[in-house]
Amino acid sequence: MIKTLLAAEQESELRELLVVASRLNPASTSAVLPESMLESPALRGVPLSSVVPLPAPNGRPLAQLVGVIHRAVEQLGALVVIAPSNKTWRELMSRVAQRMRAGCITDCTRLALEDGRITAERPSLGGAFLEKLEVNKLPVLLTCQLRGVEEQWPEREVKPEVLRIEVASKEEGTLRILSRERFAKSGVDLARARRIVAVGRGFRRMEDLRMAEELARLLEAEIACSRPIASDLKWLPEDRHIGLSGRWVSPDLYIAIGISGQVQHMVGVRNSKIIVAVNNDPSAPIHREADYSVIQDLYVFLPELVKVINERRGRPT
Amino acid sequence: MTVVHVFAKVVPDVSALEHDPATLEPRLDRAPRKLGDADLVALEAGIRVKEKLGGEVVVLSSGSGVSEAVLREALAMGADRCLFVDDASLDAADSWVTANILAALSRKAGAAELYICGEASSDHSNYQLGPRLAETLGLDCITHVTSLEVLRGKVTATRSLEDSLETVEAQTPIVVSVGLELAQPRLPSLLMIRAATRKPVQKVSIVDLGLGDDEVTPRVSRLSLKAIKTSRRNRVLSGDPRECALTLLKGLGDEGVLRPG
Repeated sequence: MIKTLLAAEQESELRELLVVASRLNPASTSAVLPESMLESPALRGVPLSSVVPLPAPNGRPLAQLVGVIHRAVEQLGALVVIAPSNKTWRELMSRVAQRMRAGCITDCTRLALEDGRITAERPSLGGAFLEKLEVNKLPVLLTCQLRGVEEQWPEREVKPEVLRIEVASKEEGTLRILSRERFAKSGVDLARARRIVAVGRGFRRMEDLRMAEELARLLEAEIACSRPIASDLKWLPEDRHIGLSGRWVSPDLYIAIGISGQVQHMVGVRNSKIIVAVNNDPSAPIHREADYSVIQDLYVFLPELVKVINERRGRPT
Repeated sequence: MTVVHVFAKVVPDVSALEHDPATLEPRLDRAPRKLGDADLVALEAGIRVKEKLGGEVVVLSSGSGVSEAVLREALAMGADRCLFVDDASLDAADSWVTANILAALSRKAGAAELYICGEASSDHSNYQLGPRLAETLGLDCITHVTSLEVLRGKVTATRSLEDSLETVEAQTPIVVSVGLELAQPRLPSLLMIRAATRKPVQKVSIVDLGLGDDEVTPRVSRLSLKAIKTSRRNRVLSGDPRECALTLLKGLGDEGVLRPG
């Protein structure tokens, strides 16, 4: 029986990580949480034995947080530390791991306890392969790809012990944050979206995305995109980018329009229930992984699809 | 004079990777080798620093079956010399072992002002090397960098995070991990390729790195590596756009993934 320590910045992350950790049958579970979450009423009834307040990672040099987490792991005697997979936590977990001479597995999609050993699965080789890893030595630090699945915990009076950890200023390092420019954000969490319309390089101009936005509006879907649309062209904010280095989603319906379907993109959408690909190139890799392969010029097909939906809803076109 | 260490990994080209249909295992021996995508960007960043401030770019690499010919491509781009470890045991290396080997190799190459690596390797994409190197070398780390300025012992960098662009400043020496957006790696000219054949490439054995047993003992082992098999309906719709749209909507309606419209 092992002690686990979870790290989360949002309540939804904490709830999902609790489900993940429960597969390891832990003796007890503690959590590193932002100060602001400690008094949250939603935290009541969540089975945590201790909580460690965390200074907000955003706006603080990360080096300071490495010290807090490292000490929390040591003081609580945690043998498995689990955090969400994102840029901040991958960095923090691998730094703490190196400091503790420990292993770290990033982007886990599945965790299990097999014959007393912890195993993890994660995508590899660009996303077309899955590797299964075994932990040889504890402690281990893990980051998990969250899918927006969480559980309600039975209400019970639990008062976790609060463990405060101070870090000396000399541990802060020389790194200073000069400015932060937040991406335009809709506040949408793609991981929870039930329907997604995603756009790729098949769109020739930014204005043309309006066609996809219209479809998304009709289907009550969220708009998303492949990496180049956000990172290179900046037509959509980075939080709409789906793929290996972006968001991972699991909607009921994923409609990919003008996306070729490189493995790095597909790794982010594999958990979709139904995948529709609209691409006029029949040899595009996305057609191999689609439930519906629409071999059509998107500039012709999208207006037609929108028109048909409007007709069926009895609206004039 | 600025000394830059760039960490680059020789990887199979994952876009050309096939798998055995029976075992689902990748046919790594058949895939062409190349330098990792983000590692090439790291090289480009290092070479630009050298061009501006003068100095040296040292390439450091480790792995199993490391191709010297591929490492020469880094020298052709403008790096000055290369040290590498090639050992069959590193097939089983995890991020802990890799970081220890590369940090030791970097120390062997001498001190540097900037240590640059790609944010993730093109094969296993662990995203761990930069942060782990920083810990081992006792330095700070700036990850996911998409623009980099170096001047008189100070770096200013832009980091691309999920929800924001962050501009940070730090003193050198420092570890920097770069994202693909930072720069387009240059293509070496024939002249540079020829010049690269005369640049020093040194193979170093693991024992010469002076690491303890614990530092080369993996914390994590791979049990299997298999192609992801997806079972999709693969219904092809082509021909008349209107017919396609109707068939698609009918299908999605039957699947129950569409709001009734």
